[in-house]
Amino acid sequence: MQEKKYFTRMGDGSIVHMTEAEIREDMKAGMEDAVSRGKISPLTDEEFEHLYEIITMPGVIVGVEPGKQVVTTSDSGSDKINTKCGIPTDRAINAMLHERILGCDSVDIGYSDYNFKTVKGVAKREASVLKHALNRTTMPLFYGAMPNLGFYTKPDGPVDNWAVLLPEGKIKEAMAAQEEAVELAVKDILYVAEQMHDVGADGINLDTSGAAGDADFLVSLKATEQIKERFPDLHVEIGMAGEFVLGMHGKLKYDDVRLAGLYPHKQVKLAEKAGASIFGPVVNTNCNKSFPWNLARVCTFIKACTEVTEIPIHANAGMGVCGVPMCENLPTDAVSRVAKALIEICKIDGL
Amino acid sequence: MSKEMLFEAAAESIIESDEDKAFEVLAQAEEQGVDLVELLGQGYSAGMRELGDRFGRGEIFLPELIFATEVMKAVTEKIEAKMESVDTPKKGVMVIGTVAGDVHDIGKGIVASLVKTNGIEVHDLGREVPAEVFVEKAIEYNADFVGSSALLTTTMTEQKKIEELLVKAGIRDKVMTLVGGAPVTKRWAEKIGADAYCEDASEAVQVILSWLEN
Amino acid sequence: MRMQLAHKMKIDEAKKYVAEKLNVTIEELCDVVTMTDVREELGIGLGHVEPCAEANIGMESKFRIAELLGIEINSVERFKERAGIK
Repeated sequence: MQEKKYFTRMGDGSIVHMTEAEIREDMKAGMEDAVSRGKISPLTDEEFEHLYEIITMPGVIVGVEPGKQVVTTSDSGSDKINTKCGIPTDRAINAMLHERILGCDSVDIGYSDYNFKTVKGVAKREASVLKHALNRTTMPLFYGAMPNLGFYTKPDGPVDNWAVLLPEGKIKEAMAAQEEAVELAVKDILYVAEQMHDVGADGINLDTSGAAGDADFLVSLKATEQIKERFPDLHVEIGMAGEFVLGMHGKLKYDDVRLAGLYPHKQVKLAEKAGASIFGPVVNTNCNKSFPWNLARVCTFIKACTEVTEIPIHANAGMGVCGVPMCENLPTDAVSRVAKALIEICKIDGL
Repeated sequence: MSKEMLFEAAAESIIESDEDKAFEVLAQAEEQGVDLVELLGQGYSAGMRELGDRFGRGEIFLPELIFATEVMKAVTEKIEAKMESVDTPKKGVMVIGTVAGDVHDIGKGIVASLVKTNGIEVHDLGREVPAEVFVEKAIEYNADFVGSSALLTTTMTEQKKIEELLVKAGIRDKVMTLVGGAPVTKRWAEKIGADAYCEDASEAVQVILSWLEN
Repeated sequence: MRMQLAHKMKIDEAKKYVAEKLNVTIEELCDVVTMTDVREELGIGLGHVEPCAEANIGMESKFRIAELLGIEINSVERFKERAGIK
């Protein structure tokens, strides 16, 4: 008799059928990759078995036990109905759709050019959109955007482009350019935060932090610290861009900790220190590996993060992160398994 | 010192970005009559590959990688000068850029740096590069590899355009194409007819090196 | 969610806190049928709102949530300022 094969997927979403032995082998390899990169503990045997169960569980959609549900935040959520689905609704209505139809626990109002530098120019108008939405919704609303330090580089910004300087070997110049951009970005975020605070925002979502490397992450940490100093009732969620902080500068520190190369369990301690209320760790989905490989790796990283944190963790479980396949229309079999594993094994506080 | 130990010391000199050590190893290799091309490939370049892996794991950072590249460059130049009439292995030429409408050039810059550190001649076309320019520059530099990066679902279609224009210009068979960027997948690469999808900079290097070996 | 933001409570602690304030069990807190009744009775926001219960959404319900949970909600505070009631 032919050995039973389970329906699962590759990291890019394509369907693959695997035997129990193949799934276990991939899970082990994924977990070991996380252990070796993050220098963290592996999953316990019990957790490993439970994860295997989740991956091979019958049914398209799997879920948690009643009472074990968690809450949700999002990134550029309110804008996706327009930009991703092409439905021409206004963003206050989108927020209401998220609350009353999609059953979300929060959403962020965000501009379609989702970065603070762009938003700065229209911040008061953006605040007005948020104000309307706040009057009409019950759930918490964030204003979200990316620090996106790359936008501060020439030709789009005032600072020399380190992506050009570094390959040319101009290291000192590249480092100085990044340091200059940090100050500009923090200032812009503070300005936008002030406008949003004035209309009653529940929080600021610093999304995709670290996208441009360690300087980008430093922006989020410094901005969080300053937002909390100036507006104690404006809460901050820091969502990450990738699983480790890319060392584009290499020497930047926050609270005496070098930022480059930090994995989620170390990133969260700095987010905590800066004053963030929620931290959104990311583990990259590898398109060339299977869903079992990716999810075991994700659980190992995220569990290490939730074990050390004192603030709530909302794992990023969207397209191409935390085991969710890299494809536009997400398969619920994979997404629901990711959610179940993150909640039951990693003990996350939200998605 | 045995040949293997020399190779190891050469690799270490690159990993430690130690130019003096790199030249000492070179001098000793010459004295012992070791094949310098072999020393370059199995010694210094092995060090560079190790650094690329460490970078991919977040253990070392771009400035450190660049320092090492400078040492690698210096030692390669010296070896090439000594070889004179002897042919050094041909490494190839790459044009790379971020596609039109896309300003995200950080990842592309890392790929350019890492590929360059492995001895490939890289022409970085920058960001927001029209598909026509990729083709034009591939012809101008007689490129072997064309790499394009797209960070947005709205701009990745430009990679398809590059493939089409390469065919139209009659040079598609002369170049190998690599695509990358956050929303890009192996499936997308296959769909548009690109030769390779690269998950990250290290993979781009591995793909290029494996093509060169074959 | 509000307790996570305001007091950085982890999910279990936050659920326990809210359940106690609303006088429900944690299982009931996560149950749509129970919570529809609770939300309707307390006026703290519903997904489906009949025209006669329009006060059960938006700013009005946030005033009640802030009071019930013993927290300050920024939009409520700013609204009070704008309305001249603070």
